Amino acid sequence: MIEVRGLSVRFPRAEGPVLRGVDLDVADGERVLLLGPSGSGKSTLLRVLAGIVPQTVDADVWGSVRVAGAPVVVDPARPGGTDPGQAPGVTDVPTLARRVATLTQNPADQLCLPTVRDEVAFALENRAVPAEQIGPRVHAALTSVGAGHLADRRTSELSGGEGQRVALAAALVADPEVLLLDEPTALLDPVGARDVADAVRSAGARTSVLIEHRLDELGELPARLVVLDAHGGVRADGATAVVVLDEARALAAEGVWLPLAAELRAAGVTSLDALAPDAGPGAPGAALPRTTAAPLLRAHGLGVRRGTRTVLDGVSLDVHAGRVTAVLGLNGSGKSTLLHALAGLLPGGPDAGTVTGARVGMVFQQPEHQLLTRTVRDEVAYGPRRARLPDVDGRVERALREHVLDGLADHDPFRLSGGQQRRLSLAAMAVCDHEVLVADEPTFGQDRRTTRATARALTALAREGRGVVLVTHDLRLAGLVADDVLVLHAGRVLAHGPAEAVLADDDVLARAGLRLPPLLAAWRTTGLPLRPLLEALDARTAGSPAAQPERVA
Amino acid sequence: MSGVGFGRPLAHDSVLHRRNPTVKLAVLLVVSTVLLAVVDPWTPLALWVLALVAVARAGRIPWRLLLRAQLLFGPFAVSILAVNCVTRDGPVVGALGPFEVTGPGLAIGLSLMLRTLLVGTLSVAFVLTTDGARLMTSLHQHVRLGARPTYAVLAGYRMLEQLPERWTTIRLAQAAREPARARRQGSAPAWLRAARTGRGLPDDAARQDDAAPREWRARRGGGTRLPVSPRALARAAFTLLVVTLRQGERMAVAMETRGLGAGPRTVHAPVTLDRRDAAFAAVTVGVCVAVIVAAARLGVLASWGSTFG
Repeated sequence: MIEVRGLSVRFPRAEGPVLRGVDLDVADGERVLLLGPSGSGKSTLLRVLAGIVPQTVDADVWGSVRVAGAPVVVDPARPGGTDPGQAPGVTDVPTLARRVATLTQNPADQLCLPTVRDEVAFALENRAVPAEQIGPRVHAALTSVGAGHLADRRTSELSGGEGQRVALAAALVADPEVLLLDEPTALLDPVGARDVADAVRSAGARTSVLIEHRLDELGELPARLVVLDAHGGVRADGATAVVVLDEARALAAEGVWLPLAAELRAAGVTSLDALAPDAGPGAPGAALPRTTAAPLLRAHGLGVRRGTRTVLDGVSLDVHAGRVTAVLGLNGSGKSTLLHALAGLLPGGPDAGTVTGARVGMVFQQPEHQLLTRTVRDEVAYGPRRARLPDVDGRVERALREHVLDGLADHDPFRLSGGQQRRLSLAAMAVCDHEVLVADEPTFGQDRRTTRATARALTALAREGRGVVLVTHDLRLAGLVADDVLVLHAGRVLAHGPAEAVLADDDVLARAGLRLPPLLAAWRTTGLPLRPLLEALDARTAGSPAAQPERVA
Repeated sequence: MSGVGFGRPLAHDSVLHRRNPTVKLAVLLVVSTVLLAVVDPWTPLALWVLALVAVARAGRIPWRLLLRAQLLFGPFAVSILAVNCVTRDGPVVGALGPFEVTGPGLAIGLSLMLRTLLVGTLSVAFVLTTDGARLMTSLHQHVRLGARPTYAVLAGYRMLEQLPERWTTIRLAQAAREPARARRQGSAPAWLRAARTGRGLPDDAARQDDAAPREWRARRGGGTRLPVSPRALARAAFTLLVVTLRQGERMAVAMETRGLGAGPRTVHAPVTLDRRDAAFAAVTVGVCVAVIVAAARLGVLASWGSTFG
């Protein structure tokens, strides 16, 4: 169904090729999981298979590619071939789209029309399907992904998980032979991610290629695994169950969250209990003792209403120096509103209660939205300059070093990779000298390496004596960085206490609709302290951070 | 206009709601064009009054909303009147401050003012009774607007829908990096400076002494302070532009990978075009012509450089 021979791709102005001599054969109905470090060309390979590279996005392409019988890239060395990518006989993207469907990360990028019905019907209209058949097929496609009830909604009103299911229906409605999935659950909360993963699995026995880095919570994986190396070649190809264990160490270091068994293999142990020596008392991860000192920031009895809806109700939270508090809860539980209230960024202020204390800085979910200048150095210097802090240059240099941005000082922030932008946004906020920092899902959509770097940065801020509050859906991250956990449900505090105690409370988790990832579920049976255990696991699987060069996007 | 989404009609149904969007747009353009030739105040006055009653009835548009729409165009209309009153030659009929008001100036000014209000009323009625997406579908179907421009506009509409929220986020992120207003110079208290300069964590005793943090503690009432300097706004606007352009590129690719441009296409929910639309166009244009004819018979119709009747 897919036949790739000697495929190499180089983007204009790039130093070297992003893919090098890739061979790949995928049989009819076969499902392939595609992994590789950031910059290894996974997404590029998918975009070549869809014809986007080089037809829409300019690139030099060598080799030959056939998808569902259609020539997508024709080797100029073969008879009939001419310029790479420009060869006659190459199927154009819209025509290829009759057989190949694509689903990418962000529903906002894929939902282009005002209503769900228009959106799903679009692919059929473009194939000139008779109008009377379109209605029933739209209905069937929506139903198959569990989105039948969304048919009459407007696309702008959908949640992330709903939007992604509609986008999947829009991709499946024309019954493509090949399905290309580029991290379809990366930007979804755990509930949305599970719904979409289930919908993808039940999408029928189609040929599919899936890029995904959250293998720990994905459930059943595709049977075959192909791993690309940092240079854009194929490093491993075989049965997922075998390859994921063989490659465990490298994959973990490259930013993939592994299923529990593979994670343990990567750490060189057979069970979590074996990490007891690393994770004993006095391990480096031990939190600061809870102080009796007055809090840096005190929120008391916060209440926020939006129209008739109560978003927050009687929420109190003290932020102490040197401590990290994680705020957990489902979408709509009021987490982000609480952060905005703490940071004094709530339009009009809270309807009830008070926030008193220190100055608060805030890190936002999408780093792009925080960028305000044309170079990385100016970006970091922005806050200190506005505040007329002394020694701006020194501060900036230190921040660049601490956040591993040294070589990028003169780069355009908008051209950095997602992970680099995340580190930049953290650095730009950290230099502002706020006593308290709040972060809204700072690891959303990031791979494990960036997540780990973010965790380190937040911990370091607490170590400096600042107070940190973060909102996250990632319970593993909460276990790794948080001293305290506050669980919100429908705007009220369901639980607030030491991280370990709250994450071990089945009743609270069930009422909040939170589900422990397999690793944390396994931790519960060990009796080991959580944070040192996670740190030991990360330390053993991380590899050295310096040895992980990152490509500028 | 609360409750009315951008590009979305008033939520109720009406005769005007049910008319074909392309026909409505065409009628609006025809009436506006015909009136370009009229410069007496009576014809547009009669049409304006008729139009107000007609759109209030046929479009079931609340009078309050229509009045607010008049206020929207009012200042522009009055400025046209004022400029014409004092700049045209002719017998002087009064004074506006230091300026002399001429008879022809007053007549033409009133005419243009009323025309502005008329076209404004019709445009508002069109917008309040027409769904943006249905208009594009109708243009695609009935005047052969190409698939690519049609869907480019619809995707652009989707992006515009998300723009306000994105702008707010960018501005809040910007505000988060502004210095606090009443901040003392000299910044961080001793314990935080000590931690920052690498002398390690302050010991518990130092942190028990909470005097330092309290010193520069200000009550945070909660209101948002957004930086409003032109520079700050320009920066935020640039960020919005870059983020939106990127999204536009990704949406273009998404539409292509779903087959836009693959050749002949169908429309799953066609916009109807039938006799009732023809009747609507005939009645509307007919009334317009009848008023002009009546004005001519009564001897009040005037056009550029000549009078009829």
